[in-house]
Amino acid sequence: MADLAITPVRQFKIPVTAECISPDFVAGKSLRETELTQVWEGNRKVKLGSLFKVAGEIGRTPNDCAIKIAGNVSAVRRIGYEMSGGSIQINGEAGMYLGERMKAGTITVTGNAGSWLGTQMRGGQIDVKGNAGDSIGGSVRGGTKGMRGGTITIHGDCGTEAGAWMQNGMIRVRGACDLYAGIHMKNGTIVVERGCQGRVGAQMTGGKVIVLGNAGGVLPSFQFEEIRERAKAGDEKIPGPFYVFSGDVNEGGKGQLFARVSDNPDLKLNERYLER
Amino acid sequence: MPELLIRNGYVFDPLNGIEGEGMDVAVKDGKIVERVGRKARVLDASGMTVMPGGVDIHSHIAGSKANCARMMRPEDHSRDPEVKTKYARSGVGHTIPSVFTTGYRYARMGYTTVFEPATPPLTTRHTHEELNDIPIIDKGCFPLFGNNWFVMEYVKQGRIEELAAYVAWMLEATKGYAIKIVNPGGIEAWRWGRNLRHLDDTVPNFDVTPREIVKALCQVNKLLDLPHAVHIHPNGLSEPGNYQTTLDTMECARDFRREGRPAMHVTHVQFTGRKGWSWADVRSGAPEIADYVNTHDHVTIDPGQLIFTNVTWMTADGPAMFALFKLAKTKWFNADVESETGAGIVSATYKKSNYINAMQWGIALELALLVKDPWKIYLTTDHPNGGPFTSYPRVISWLVSNHARQKLIDKINKTAKRRLNLPGIDREYSLYEIATITRAATAKSLGLECKGHLGLGADADIAIYDIDPTKLDPAREYRIVRRAFAHAAYTLKEGRIVVKKGEVVRSVRGRTFWTKPKVSEDIKKTMMADLQSKFDDYYTVRMANYPIEERYLTASQAITTNAGV
Amino acid sequence: MPKATLQDVLCTFCASGCDNLEITYDGRIIDSARNGCAISVSRFTTSDKSRLLKPLVRKAGKLRPTTFARAVDRAARILNNAKYPLLYGWSQTSCEAISKGIELTELVGGLIDNTTTSCHGPTILGVQDAGEATSTLGEIRHSADLVIYWGCNPVHSHPRHTNRFTVFSKGRFRKTRKDRKLIVVDVRQTDTAKLADRFIQVQPNGDYELLTALRTAINGEQIEQETIAGVPVETVEEIADMMMECEFGALFFGLGLTMTAGKHRNTEAALALVKDLNFVTKFVIVPMRGWFNVAGANEVSTWQTGYPYAVDLTQGYPRFNPGDTSAIDAITRGEVDAALVVASDPVSHFPREAVKHLLKIPIIVLEPKRTPTSEAAEVVIPSAILGVEAAGTIYRIDGVALEAKKVIDPPIGVRPDVETLDTIIRRVKKLGARR
Repeated sequence: MADLAITPVRQFKIPVTAECISPDFVAGKSLRETELTQVWEGNRKVKLGSLFKVAGEIGRTPNDCAIKIAGNVSAVRRIGYEMSGGSIQINGEAGMYLGERMKAGTITVTGNAGSWLGTQMRGGQIDVKGNAGDSIGGSVRGGTKGMRGGTITIHGDCGTEAGAWMQNGMIRVRGACDLYAGIHMKNGTIVVERGCQGRVGAQMTGGKVIVLGNAGGVLPSFQFEEIRERAKAGDEKIPGPFYVFSGDVNEGGKGQLFARVSDNPDLKLNERYLER
Repeated sequence: MPELLIRNGYVFDPLNGIEGEGMDVAVKDGKIVERVGRKARVLDASGMTVMPGGVDIHSHIAGSKANCARMMRPEDHSRDPEVKTKYARSGVGHTIPSVFTTGYRYARMGYTTVFEPATPPLTTRHTHEELNDIPIIDKGCFPLFGNNWFVMEYVKQGRIEELAAYVAWMLEATKGYAIKIVNPGGIEAWRWGRNLRHLDDTVPNFDVTPREIVKALCQVNKLLDLPHAVHIHPNGLSEPGNYQTTLDTMECARDFRREGRPAMHVTHVQFTGRKGWSWADVRSGAPEIADYVNTHDHVTIDPGQLIFTNVTWMTADGPAMFALFKLAKTKWFNADVESETGAGIVSATYKKSNYINAMQWGIALELALLVKDPWKIYLTTDHPNGGPFTSYPRVISWLVSNHARQKLIDKINKTAKRRLNLPGIDREYSLYEIATITRAATAKSLGLECKGHLGLGADADIAIYDIDPTKLDPAREYRIVRRAFAHAAYTLKEGRIVVKKGEVVRSVRGRTFWTKPKVSEDIKKTMMADLQSKFDDYYTVRMANYPIEERYLTASQAITTNAGV
Repeated sequence: MPKATLQDVLCTFCASGCDNLEITYDGRIIDSARNGCAISVSRFTTSDKSRLLKPLVRKAGKLRPTTFARAVDRAARILNNAKYPLLYGWSQTSCEAISKGIELTELVGGLIDNTTTSCHGPTILGVQDAGEATSTLGEIRHSADLVIYWGCNPVHSHPRHTNRFTVFSKGRFRKTRKDRKLIVVDVRQTDTAKLADRFIQVQPNGDYELLTALRTAINGEQIEQETIAGVPVETVEEIADMMMECEFGALFFGLGLTMTAGKHRNTEAALALVKDLNFVTKFVIVPMRGWFNVAGANEVSTWQTGYPYAVDLTQGYPRFNPGDTSAIDAITRGEVDAALVVASDPVSHFPREAVKHLLKIPIIVLEPKRTPTSEAAEVVIPSAILGVEAAGTIYRIDGVALEAKKVIDPPIGVRPDVETLDTIIRRVKKLGARR
């Protein structure tokens, strides 16, 4: 692996759009060519080299590229756009649209990540040690196709609408989710470990959301099915027991919401629907 | 304006019978002239095809439903942005381009005149705001009359002269160009969630039938001597077996022909040319419809060619859109307009593998190939319903090359391939015929005497395509044809070069055409008294604020006619 | 000077588009405004002591009078130098001015956003996912036998709404109050709720659950909860029945949905509810737009850029993503380095964090009267009041375009926004615009 260090020379306030910070873009280029690549800083086109120090080696193919960014790049958008291999490591804060349309490879962030992380992702792994913003693994505005492959792991909390319009793949949130996790979900799995604000799986048509911690209630468009001992998430079997609901009935949905029994006493009333 | 000489091109000017003749075209002060002086600028068109600028008779480019569609479909825009250049504003839009992009993309194809075919009179002020903003092209719009309360009441009462006076007033009030009818009576039924399917169904609460509405408006069209025919989208859109309704609708206009001018233009017939009893059983009604058009002189059609891509359905036919939404299960938008009409929008994708889509594609091409006279059939995709207008070059390639068609036929749904007549049709359009259906015939149909030809006194709207007709075999080299029509070598608007090598090099303002029929003062007075007595009851705007002033149009071009009332 | 009367004048306050006002005026003074609501009277007749009359420019910390040309020059320079300027407001000015605003934004490479961003932006986002079944207001007057006001209070916000369009109006098919039923859904009993046949009190932030429950009932499915957002399930089922049994229903909604927890998902649920109802009966939904030309700002922005608000033109083509390209978010993140504000007062209305950042950057203000925003500005250019002193096009709640008239001349030296913006554009071009 060839390590390429891209280091911001200062804290950016004006947004920077840098799709070129991606293994697919840099692969096969020289350091000089990379530095001369034009990026947007607000409404001005500037050279990448004027905003970032570029040092190290660049691999010949995307898979050979390991990009390392040290510093706060929370104002930098579209890093890792459409990458198909290699890795990006951000030691610091990451910005919006990180890993959008990613096909393969890995992205890791030691700090927090912005909204629209992994939009329309098709494969690969994204791992964020801190928190993430809204609409991770989602779709574009007005679109109906969210991520369809790969795995997103958030170690902290995430915002609203995690996995909106998800078509497949896996999202794991080790912290908590704000409202609407799994909204309009079609397939795939979302696991949330420290509860949700509520409205989980709204308008879903398929897939499953597994909630450890309080789920924030269940929508009136979901129907109680049963209690299950375990919930399957990929190869893993998460121990429960879980209340299992299906919905969203208003969309003719066959999605599933798993809410761990011990964390959701507010859902206990549903037990009356269990067959004796 | 400086003089210009376009030298050595091969000119196709069907209205003047010029078929690929090598000749010069002289331009002065924005018009075609006999000759220019020695100091004239010279544009070398050697080895290239010279045609009048394209005239599109039916394309949904402006107004409240177009804008609602734009607002509803950001995902349509984000995939197809246009970056600002030195000469061109930025924009977006694959199926529903923003206004600047619309003008530029038409100009890039060598088109210089486009008509918005359906505008609700109450919201036509909006249509004109958008038309004003569309650069380069000349334009106009067709106000909707087929579900209008005043119209239906006059029809019920049999008061044709007052109806004519009302239509005349409306055309001037809305700065509209022609009478448009969409699903006559059906959109009023949609007020109650219903629709009308046949010409003799009764409109709820108004006690008139679509047949009566259509006949009355055809008679009015003749009385007012309007430049275009009645432009109609019949009842029964998309319904299996609706080809019969189309034929019945065409029959309605039989008595209203005017010396050598058709009484009715039926639009996007692919949507209303279906045989069969159910969705699974849709067959082509193209042979029957083509046969009717071939044997009658009072009617013309356009096919509304389907393209296998993502589209936006957008029409005044609200109930038809709801029916299609129930099948497509995508986003649906509906907007009824008080006392007048409605609108419906649905996003959709046409697939080759889908039986019905494949049949629709085939039906449209069959219509174009089975109608013998190219003066009776015009190139449209009913943009954006059949496909984006930027697909016209692709359609041209299918018309000029049987081989290009057959290649695609081999990829479509197999049952459709079996049931269509298209595989057995080998007719190929010539460039002359293409010039006819994309500019000469449409200009003639619209009654625009200064458009669609390169005769003396015509507007110098000219398209130069990089095709050498003496060397090119369009049937074999259809890819070259397609590329050439997609990126005009030059487009000129009133003698000024606006596009060069497919890129916009200058932006100019186009004119808005509208008609102003003059009726007698007496009949107008009677009609106005009716209007004034009911206006506040029917509308939530004041009658004084309803008409659009001429100053509203950035560049107004009125066409006056002398009505026979 | 003799008194004159102008008929059929459009009021430019809320978005109801009342265009039957009769205005009597004497030279530059308006004497009376008849046929409208009380707000319209004050719009036309009150002479505002806080009226701005001269262009101002900040010098040595203070706003001082200057010439129009100097103010325009300073504004042009501020915009030209900015890397991420924001052009904001637009809801109380004409479409013609908004068109200039978009041209200017593209020229200098900035963001253009309007007050939709903190009002009915969520409605538009909901439409982008769910679509919308709507109609012009006259259709409702003619046909609606069931009217629902959800999360809005038209008695106060749009005083003539019920008279002109709903329960107290006379339509072709519904002639009296008895021909219609009114349901009001709100978190408390408002003055509009007092007119209702049924008032449903919903828990704050519980609208999404209630809308979902209604959908479930309408779609013939079982609701497994006993109360939803404080409403008993039996009541939910009764309301669902009322909705399904009407001949033509109309649902109006306001900030109670757009600005409570869920926002665009609340509006999406309402839009989806009405969509579901159309499988059973005829139903339409209409958002209660506030300012008189906020709908116009959306319309012009959409036909020119493809997007209704929060448009980013910094990279030479339009991009749209509220949360990223929206005014309040971009300002709060400290990204915006200059602002042009037209007919709006963000310093008073934006969240505190945003205002903190806004006050750090140079602001250009086009505004008829003194506001906290104009007091904080670098450049202030007084505006003629649209519909009183300047003509222009506006769009009503339901998208019908109307023309606002000029009744009297503006004070000397005060210009319509469309002129001011045009002059700024020419100055920006002369100074050498970015693009």
